[in-house]
Amino acid sequence: MQLDWLTLAGFRSYAQLEWQPDPGVNVIVGRNGAGKTNLLEAVGYLGSLRSFRGAPDHALVGFDAENAYLRGQIASGAAQSLIELELRRRGGRQARVNTQRLARTADLLGHVRFVTFLPEDLDIVKRGPSHRRDFLDATAVQLWPASHLDQADFDRALRQRNAFLKQYDRDEVTLGVWDERLAQAGGKVMARRARTVDAISDQVASVHADIAGSEASVGFDYVSGWKGELDPTVSPSEFAQRLTDALGEARKRDRERRVTTVGPHRDEPMLMLDGHDSRYHASQGEQRTLTLSLRVASHRAIADLIDRSPILLLDDVYSELDPERAAALTRSLPEAQTLVTTADPRDVPLEGISWSIEGGTVEHR
Amino acid sequence: MYEGPLQRLIDELSRLPGIGHKSAQRIAFHLLSIEDTDARRLGHSILDLRDQIGHCTRCFNVTANEECAICLDARRDESVVCVVERPQDIVVIERTNEYRGRYHVLGGSLSPIQGIGPDQLRIPELRRRVEEEQIREFIIATNPTMEGDATAMYLAREFKPLGIMVSRLASGLPVGGDLDYADELTLGRALVGRSEM
Repeated sequence: MQLDWLTLAGFRSYAQLEWQPDPGVNVIVGRNGAGKTNLLEAVGYLGSLRSFRGAPDHALVGFDAENAYLRGQIASGAAQSLIELELRRRGGRQARVNTQRLARTADLLGHVRFVTFLPEDLDIVKRGPSHRRDFLDATAVQLWPASHLDQADFDRALRQRNAFLKQYDRDEVTLGVWDERLAQAGGKVMARRARTVDAISDQVASVHADIAGSEASVGFDYVSGWKGELDPTVSPSEFAQRLTDALGEARKRDRERRVTTVGPHRDEPMLMLDGHDSRYHASQGEQRTLTLSLRVASHRAIADLIDRSPILLLDDVYSELDPERAAALTRSLPEAQTLVTTADPRDVPLEGISWSIEGGTVEHR
Repeated sequence: MYEGPLQRLIDELSRLPGIGHKSAQRIAFHLLSIEDTDARRLGHSILDLRDQIGHCTRCFNVTANEECAICLDARRDESVVCVVERPQDIVVIERTNEYRGRYHVLGGSLSPIQGIGPDQLRIPELRRRVEEEQIREFIIATNPTMEGDATAMYLAREFKPLGIMVSRLASGLPVGGDLDYADELTLGRALVGRSEM
């Protein structure tokens, strides 16, 4: 899968940009603040409908612009598609594929598949469980684009149920209705997480051995207050039933605390290295290796599933790595269109086309 | 900024749904350029709308009378009530010519975020109708959204125990379309809601 060309208008620091990346490796060089990450963020947005930096949509629209426009041509095998996305400052977005307006913007998902390597990836291993939940959910969207709708449903049901709990309303029927809506969406989210871990797990140990240079067992563990578990054979409706039961049991506590205390949003996925929780028991170096392994393994899992190689987005990753890990990462990187940013091209041990970013334009170096 | 009445109209128009400042300005200048009678007719129809149109006391459809034409129509089946979110939904269902029962307009859907619970919708009024009329069946036609589905579920839970038969509009494949054009979500719903042959 490759991006043939990209145009941006009113997106972040780009008033107007036209860019034709190479189908191979693209090394994007620019000083800090030149807009390197914005470029990768735009590609990521087309593939996930959100900013990988967690920025809200209105922050993506440039200061002087009313709307931001992202357009690109994606080649996937023999097929080419023209994809267009408009983000409005006041909220709302509109997508087109091959000039056809999409009824739901979410239907754009799946046209651009990508895997990121970001400096803050270390948080997935090192910090709290929300980072690992986000990693699993975002990877699920790249594997199965419809996961996005399940997650959006779950978030909405959760906000509705929590809003209801804040109102001191004793109505049991209404609460029961929100329990069921939450459980149905939550069951789907959990089933996706279980299948995502299943898809990555096949790959992650061997990738890790390549990068670390030694064998170790690597895997996920999952702590949940409602019998959510990483079993890919459990159906979404079975998970929904378990969550319904748990919400019923938690009702008194939820009413007291006026918030939903149980569900996929509270679960704790853990990354296990040789049987120990890597958050607390792995060294910084081991954590770094583990993160890289997760990303490479995700890329392989997605490529296996869709039979195409997702685009690789590497945002200033090499400067964080020691020479050995940098070399190991380079060896493990799959064959793919690659966009890699750096402030110093000497940091990047990859052969490819060099681009320089300055003053909102991208040019051959 | 324009002078007095012109700027006032532009401000008022831009408060309307789907109309931004530029469109408001274009509409205002258009109204200034057309025949006096045409502009006055528009003004009067807005006033008439406000003076004459209200809600049906039975089903809360829009009407110029005490009760709407559908509620007054004796040929319609009074034992079946189709529950919708908005009056506009009635028109859509009427256009099919497939439905001969009556309606009930909720005025929205359950949404605690916006402070909308059953009592903010016309659900107490629906309960009163069940007590007073000979209603046997509900067909729930709320939107297939998180909130619309929750509202449907609420109605089923509240009214089934009263002996009302409750069904929900099926959501599925567009008629005349190819299966490969259906999106995953629509197809998924159609699978779950499949019917026996």
